[in-house]
Amino acid sequence: MNDTRQRIALLSKALDLLTDRPIKVMEVCGTHTVSIFRQGLRSLLPPSLKLVSGPGCPVCVTDQGEIDAAVSLAGINGVTVATYGDMLRVPGSGSSLMNERARGRDVRIVTSADQALEIARNEKTRLIVFVAVGFETTAPSTASVILDAHRDRISNFTVLDLHKAVPPALEALASDADIDLDALLLPGHVSVILGLSPYGFLPERYGIACAVAGFEAEEIMLGLVEVARQIKEGRPRVASLYGQAVRAEGNPFARSLVDRVFEPGDSSWRGLGEIPLSGYALREEYSSMDALKRLDISIRRTPPPDGCSCGEVLRGVMTPRECPLFGNLCNPSHPVGPCMVSGEGSCAAHFRFSAGGDDPWKR
Amino acid sequence: METLSIGHGAGGRLTEELVSLILGRFPGNPVADREDCAVLPGGIAVTIDGYTVTPLAFEGGDIGSLCICGSANDLSVRGAKPLYIALGVIVEEGFPFEDLARFMTSAGEVCRALGIELVTGDTKVVPRGQADGLFLTTCAIGKTGAHPGLGTRNISPGDVILLTSPPGMHGATIAASRYGLKVNGLSSDCAALWPMLETLLPLEGLKCMRDCTRGGLGTVLCEWAESAKVGIEIDETLIPWDEASISVCDLLGLDPLHMAGEGCAAVVVSPEEAEAALELAKNHPLGKRASIIGSVTEEHPGYVGIHTASGGTRLVDKPVGEELPRIC
Repeated sequence: MNDTRQRIALLSKALDLLTDRPIKVMEVCGTHTVSIFRQGLRSLLPPSLKLVSGPGCPVCVTDQGEIDAAVSLAGINGVTVATYGDMLRVPGSGSSLMNERARGRDVRIVTSADQALEIARNEKTRLIVFVAVGFETTAPSTASVILDAHRDRISNFTVLDLHKAVPPALEALASDADIDLDALLLPGHVSVILGLSPYGFLPERYGIACAVAGFEAEEIMLGLVEVARQIKEGRPRVASLYGQAVRAEGNPFARSLVDRVFEPGDSSWRGLGEIPLSGYALREEYSSMDALKRLDISIRRTPPPDGCSCGEVLRGVMTPRECPLFGNLCNPSHPVGPCMVSGEGSCAAHFRFSAGGDDPWKR
Repeated sequence: METLSIGHGAGGRLTEELVSLILGRFPGNPVADREDCAVLPGGIAVTIDGYTVTPLAFEGGDIGSLCICGSANDLSVRGAKPLYIALGVIVEEGFPFEDLARFMTSAGEVCRALGIELVTGDTKVVPRGQADGLFLTTCAIGKTGAHPGLGTRNISPGDVILLTSPPGMHGATIAASRYGLKVNGLSSDCAALWPMLETLLPLEGLKCMRDCTRGGLGTVLCEWAESAKVGIEIDETLIPWDEASISVCDLLGLDPLHMAGEGCAAVVVSPEEAEAALELAKNHPLGKRASIIGSVTEEHPGYVGIHTASGGTRLVDKPVGEELPRIC
């Protein structure tokens, strides 16, 4: 047995000793979800620890109406839609960006906001719409690119701004009695930006144990041990296990970039509905870069597909396997909802990597 | 109207649907064994493959070397020595002569090294916009020798899985270049496998070989488990990973088990001859990092499991469509 396996076996043992009653822990971030599955950590958790996935997959929480708006934008002559790869497959009510690309619309994959601006600089005759999704981790780079475009007067660059803020969504989950969470595993990279103070209300007001953890197997296991210990001791708090990278005050520079460009606005989350002030709205000064205004497209509310339980899955009240569509009508080749589409979606992870904590060999 | 998406070409579950649609329109039960190449009466082995890589030249190779290595490897993994090649060239108007000459030189060099003869071909020039620069198709023909019956049907519980080199290097190199990442030491593994695999053929316990191209090592293992109705277990810590490829996958959120290699083969061999096979592979420069990565089991037929570096266990699945980089 190698060193890592030995250390993780010890952490697994510690977790077993610390959980003397059933506890429900939500891993908030999609990157955590995938890492937990990919490392096979579910097979190492005690049966008393129930791990549910939260609303931290940017693709999954993007509302269907928002996808429809992106699809409509892609259909306008002269428009190039640039976005992160994961967004392409998500079905809207009628089509997806992937389908639009197959139909000859100009949809391009970028891995950063910079690349989208670069397209605008190089192709002056196209109107670029950067579909900006994600949380505190991607909002600063979108802000920075908007500031660059503004400074350099790049008039053919626009943004479909779908950014969302994590803490208001956590508040919505924490205050929902149906969900009944004991603990949250918080994402390291979001916390690098936000710091720890925005999470303070979770233990204080709702008694929820919190640990900020990195994405390696050992860091995740340490995070789980930390929350199990807080629960056992009856002293919930926000602990950071992300080391030097997370400072209590976060990254003020990144936040100041975001503040210059965005202001808090209401946002619609798939599964959670409209959450007040949970979005990053473009400030008036930059409204010429708002793709919706520029191209006169609005975000409509559309009902989720029939029978799709992504909303319940994202709130942690249903496990993917409890959804009647899971595995038969909804699978990665033919996804019904976004949780089965995204590489970071919990349904896709359950389908690809195994069952819950019990038998990894059964789908 | 339902249309094809790029995922139908990615070698995973969507590709299976596409292939079924095509095969269903032909009489009989065409290409029933779904191996990398067909072996005709008399031990004549045939395969055909199209090459549409972007970019056309990459660290470690180009479309020219790729189009010979790829098809020759499809023969080699069934124990057939590649002998002849037919080449189809579709080139877009405006394509530089110099580039075409460069790629054909690379193709010719691989043929020379392997003793493969170009016997027939076709050229088409299409108007600008109707092809992405250059598309090549090669049909390779070879002859089976010592081990005419290599194939999935020989796989049985207890057998050992050997991997000849790090998986996913070609795919990671192409992904890095497409998404604008520069990574030191990153290179495609594009190479002709025949000289190494030939040395394994005398082993009686050799069951089956497959080059881990489109869909990666994960797809090869899943296809074996499904069609041979066996379970497969591998150990993450025994896979000879390439550091540079792993960093690309980590950065982009791609699964290295789903990334293509172009000079990497998975080999199934009886447990008695596993060590001998490993030694033979290691004796060749292409196999210097060869490793035994797992075994075939009677339990959980149809599934592939990986024991992770953390000591956990999870399933390995085929990719669904195009592997797309994640958001953050």
